[in-house]
Amino acid sequence: MPPPGRDMHEWSLACELVREAEIEARRRSALRVHAVKASVGVLTGVVPELLQRAYEMARQGTCLEEAPLEIEVEAVRARCPQCGREVTLHSPALVCPDCSSLGLEILGGDGIFLASLELEVAEAAGGNHV
Amino acid sequence: MCDTCGCGLPEEAKNHAHEHDHDPGHTHREEAVLYRNLLAANEAQARENREHLMEHGVLAVNLMSSPGAGKTSLIEAVVDSLSGKLRVGVIEGDLATDRDAERIRALGLPVWQITTGSTCHLDAAMVHEALHRLPLDSIDLLFVENVGNLVCPGLYDLGCHLNGVLLSVTEGDDKVAKYPVIFRYAQFFCITKSDLLPYVSFDSSKPQREARILKGDLKTFSLSAKGGEGVEAFLSYLLAERHALSS
Ligand SMILES: Nc1nc2c(ncn2[C@@H]2O[C@H](COP(=O)(O)OP(=O)(O)OP(=O)(O)O)[C@@H](O)[C@H]2O)c(=O)[nH]1
Ligand SMILES: [Mg+2]
Ligand SMILES: [Zn+2]
Ligand SMILES: [Zn+2]
Repeated sequence: MPPPGRDMHEWSLACELVREAEIEARRRSALRVHAVKASVGVLTGVVPELLQRAYEMARQGTCLEEAPLEIEVEAVRARCPQCGREVTLHSPALVCPDCSSLGLEILGGDGIFLASLELEVAEAAGGNHV
Repeated sequence: MCDTCGCGLPEEAKNHAHEHDHDPGHTHREEAVLYRNLLAANEAQARENREHLMEHGVLAVNLMSSPGAGKTSLIEAVVDSLSGKLRVGVIEGDLATDRDAERIRALGLPVWQITTGSTCHLDAAMVHEALHRLPLDSIDLLFVENVGNLVCPGLYDLGCHLNGVLLSVTEGDDKVAKYPVIFRYAQFFCITKSDLLPYVSFDSSKPQREARILKGDLKTFSLSAKGGEGVEAFLSYLLAERHALSS
């Protein structure tokens, strides 16, 4: 793990995560946010523990204060140009597990997303003013 | 937070008075599936930067490496051998000091320093800010020296036309496979401090081969900012890219 203070890579992502979640909760007139889910591709080099820690700081004073963050790590999906196989990798080393070829074509696992929100919303239009 | 009406979002609670007395009625939980790209805002800003640079005819080059691989020295060497053929400007990203900016200023070049504090990479918004501080109309070639780091600069597009990774021969020849993200993001790759090759065990063909496998059209160079070996070839590349930009 990087030494403390240099983990700001995750910090800026956590701030963006909180910002997007707030916008979305407001847009959907949510009364509460119960949970937040993020998806982190292995190729981003993002360390989930650091993102978790950064999130706990970044959410202070926002509507996410009560909303735990769940992080799903997305494996790399890639196609090998040599053997043609579609492979799943759990580390950022882009090597075909079948034929050891390097030039893999990336199909997924290289992004970071606000995956979903679990929201409390009103049944009818009644309390709709958030 | 207003418990009565459930307008639980503090931002909003600040913005409206609670004179209402409606009944929140029945509520339920729902899952909003979003998959929203958290790098989208940076990517949008990067596109804007690229357009901005194009308007001013500036070729921007992002230099990335681990600390001390020779980014500032390469800029100095390029400026030296350019001998005025292009007007150079520099954006310096540095964690705490402005030593690198001082080195550039000593060459009489326009430079803007971004002190990132503890942030381990530059982002497009920081570069955007810097672009407005530089005399872009009197710059042909703009170097952006990123923060010393081989991981996250590869995630944050700055809007530069060229992104390059530097690897010094003292760092070991096994680094390319260890940091695939940044090499895939790059258009060129410089093996630096080649004058030190006789003193270290570094097989230059290995990282060059690995880098080309990760990124088929990656331009690779081997150079020394001290002896000057290989700097001319790198310079020709920059001149050609700058020429392609204006035609
Ligand atoms: N022998 C040799 N030393 C070099 C060369 N290029 C840079 N150095 C030395 O390497 C050290 C770091 O060089 P810098 O140019 O400051 O490296 P940098 O990547 O800008 O460093 P940071 O900005 O701190 O990340 C200095 O002591 C340079 O003199 C080179 O081509 N050959
Ligand atoms: Mg430097
Ligand atoms: Zn970073
Ligand atoms: Zn294969």
